Amino acid sequence: MSIGGAKKFFINFYIITPFLLFLIIFFYLFFNSFDFLKEKNLLEILFSSNWKPLKGNFGFFPFWFSTFYVTMLSALIFIPLGLLISIYISEYANKKFKNLLKPFFDVLSAIPSVVFGLWGFTAIVPFVSNFGKIFGIQTSGFSILSASIVLSLMVLPFMISLCISLFEMVPFSLKETVLSLGTTKFEMIEKVLIPECKRGIIASIFLSFGRAIGETMAVMMVVGCTIKIPKTPFDPAYPIPALIANEFGEMMSISSYKGALLFSAFLLNLFVLIFHFLFRRVFLKE
Amino acid sequence: MENEHIRIKNFSVWYGNEKALNNINLTIPNNAITVILGPSGCGKSTLLKSLNRLLDEVDDVRVEGEILVDGKNIYDKDVNVPALRKKMGLLLQKPQVLPFSIYKNVIFGPKINGIKDKKILKEICFKYLNMAHLWDEVSLKLNEPAHKLSIGQQQRLCLARGLAVEPEILLCDEPTSALDPISSKKVEETLLELKKNYTIILVTHILRQARRLADYIAFFYLGELVEFAQSKDFFENPRDERTKAYIKGDIS
Amino acid sequence: MNRYLKEKLFLILMKISLYLFLFMVASLFFSIFFKGISYLSFEMVFSKPKKGFYLGGGGGILPSIFGSLVLAFFSTLLAFLVSLPMTIFLNLYSKRKFSNFIRNFIDLLWGIPSIVYGIFGFFIMVYIGLKSSLLAGIITLSFVIFPLILRSLDELLQNIPFTLKEASLSLGLNKFQMGIKVFLKAIAPGVLSSILISFGRAIGDSASILFTAGFSDNFPTSLFSPVSSLPLVVFYLYSSPDKEVSGRAYAASIILIIISILISLISRRIGKRIYGK
Repeated sequence: MSIGGAKKFFINFYIITPFLLFLIIFFYLFFNSFDFLKEKNLLEILFSSNWKPLKGNFGFFPFWFSTFYVTMLSALIFIPLGLLISIYISEYANKKFKNLLKPFFDVLSAIPSVVFGLWGFTAIVPFVSNFGKIFGIQTSGFSILSASIVLSLMVLPFMISLCISLFEMVPFSLKETVLSLGTTKFEMIEKVLIPECKRGIIASIFLSFGRAIGETMAVMMVVGCTIKIPKTPFDPAYPIPALIANEFGEMMSISSYKGALLFSAFLLNLFVLIFHFLFRRVFLKE
Repeated sequence: MENEHIRIKNFSVWYGNEKALNNINLTIPNNAITVILGPSGCGKSTLLKSLNRLLDEVDDVRVEGEILVDGKNIYDKDVNVPALRKKMGLLLQKPQVLPFSIYKNVIFGPKINGIKDKKILKEICFKYLNMAHLWDEVSLKLNEPAHKLSIGQQQRLCLARGLAVEPEILLCDEPTSALDPISSKKVEETLLELKKNYTIILVTHILRQARRLADYIAFFYLGELVEFAQSKDFFENPRDERTKAYIKGDIS
Repeated sequence: MNRYLKEKLFLILMKISLYLFLFMVASLFFSIFFKGISYLSFEMVFSKPKKGFYLGGGGGILPSIFGSLVLAFFSTLLAFLVSLPMTIFLNLYSKRKFSNFIRNFIDLLWGIPSIVYGIFGFFIMVYIGLKSSLLAGIITLSFVIFPLILRSLDELLQNIPFTLKEASLSLGLNKFQMGIKVFLKAIAPGVLSSILISFGRAIGDSASILFTAGFSDNFPTSLFSPVSSLPLVVFYLYSSPDKEVSGRAYAASIILIIISILISLISRRIGKRIYGK
């Protein structure tokens, strides 16, 4: 093989690494789950709540349901808040305010998740506990609601920055033209700006979802980690990342337990990737 | 002057620290075409945007003075800005169609103003596309996206759309400079017809266009109103030196 | 009238949302600072834990600060050294389609939650017979950082105006030399900024080092000893019933916040220099 050819081969091989890495991770999780799944019934695993790993019972329902519940509730918070805030900053706030806020969001996204978790533990958990009392609900505060609030705050800066840049990409002359027809600014936003940016907004929501699903530490510190099927947002729960983090050390030694955990990691990964994939399809279809 | 529709009194505009318009005093007569003439950068667009308060949307802008439309100062605190803008139709140099179908473009304004009846909307669409001399070319494809039209057609669509909100005043910022000669001619013809019922303010830097269309001419130079006269007087007896120089082509 | 009411209503909603958000952020900073500031003594920052540290004894979190810095430094270095040639190859040597194909996977890697990398790192650890250690932590962290830094370097290189590439080609330098010299000079501020941001991320990430880096009261003596880190100090100590102990979690948080803010601001400053030119 000539030197040029060898060089080319080396380069191509080097470049393929991300692809290989991804495959390795994905298949490692998949194969280990597969071994585990072979012995069990998939439906039973997904929908049973019988979780007694030492006896060989692996009902995953409480866990993925918790993940689902926390993420959905958090979406109910971060989607409207994120949109409202980004519209305000981009279209109503004056320049000085805007320039002050932009670095602010960058800085916020740099803060580690344990810090958010600590804040949740310090401020949100007591708040939720008191809030529940208003409704006559007894809760320690370690709950889905606390986790959703913390997650929303973690995800918001990213989503807001994204949406603001989307809105700023719409040409000013379009906004001018709509306004000159005698619309209120809000009508311009409602009828032209948002529809124009629809794709990007949905994409940013998906991306934020992906982040929220995978977030481990902050959620663990406030969600309660109890194996129960949560009914109200004031109930504690046990999302998949928290399960993995908590049970990991001990369980790697027991083969079926290990398989179960890797399966949950696989599920987690799958969810995140689905959202990521949706993001790319929606966003890149432009 | 009688028939005054708009009176601009001691009006100045600053972008930051730069003065774009200096103490303008100008009356725009009713139902006529007033051309704002002058070299680029002399504040013509700024003046137009001051009239429908689009200037409000720009950062760091300061205004002084008054602009009276039908006797009321549009910069008063209690002015309803969307209603003011509805009174003034805007036509920009580069046609800006809305990202909808042709039909939706035209009825966008009326719909915002509360007209829901489909029959009425269709009539409005027909009436104003006709007025803009565009109906024949698009009547069979009203549901197609507006951006597929040629530039000349887009500009006429913008005109129809602007007319559909039933303004009294038309503000046109170099509406034909991006168009080919045939489309330009069509737009100019339309404007000449419209002046019977609308007050038209046309910004341009093309002398010939001013000659063709203007009833009155306001000549601006470097942010100041230099001369205002009826079209004939303006070209035959220019009074200011700068006006003379501009007409001769020495400055542009 | 209805139209104007609608706008007014939404304006109120928008402002409420903004203030709510700002309030939550303020609450974050204030609650942590107030609870932690009294524990942020000189001893806390500059000494090792003494006996019974976790039960209320004296000492400080210096080994964790050191541990975090070392973990972050080496993992960022590792990820950077692997990414830089990769971006150069992606942008200069391979075909458009192939590059974009690979970029899809970089994006997917970017989306994987760090706990999954933690598991994967653990798998590698076990496979090569490593215990919870500094080395294992570094390797795992570099997996997390790798897509981040690769992506930002890639974006940087893609933004180099095409004319720059053409100009250097015409000067007769061969492709490889051109790659190194011209590009690196042009993107130096951006590269520095990306490295800093990744470093910041590496300091704060906890899920990946949870099973791989271990925890310890002492400074790591070798690559194979367990190492403690600031985020894990927070995680392990925050719920202690002893106020002295939980106070340390807050102190560690304050340090983390300060480090993150500093890094973020500095990298913005540096990053701006490209456009400031």
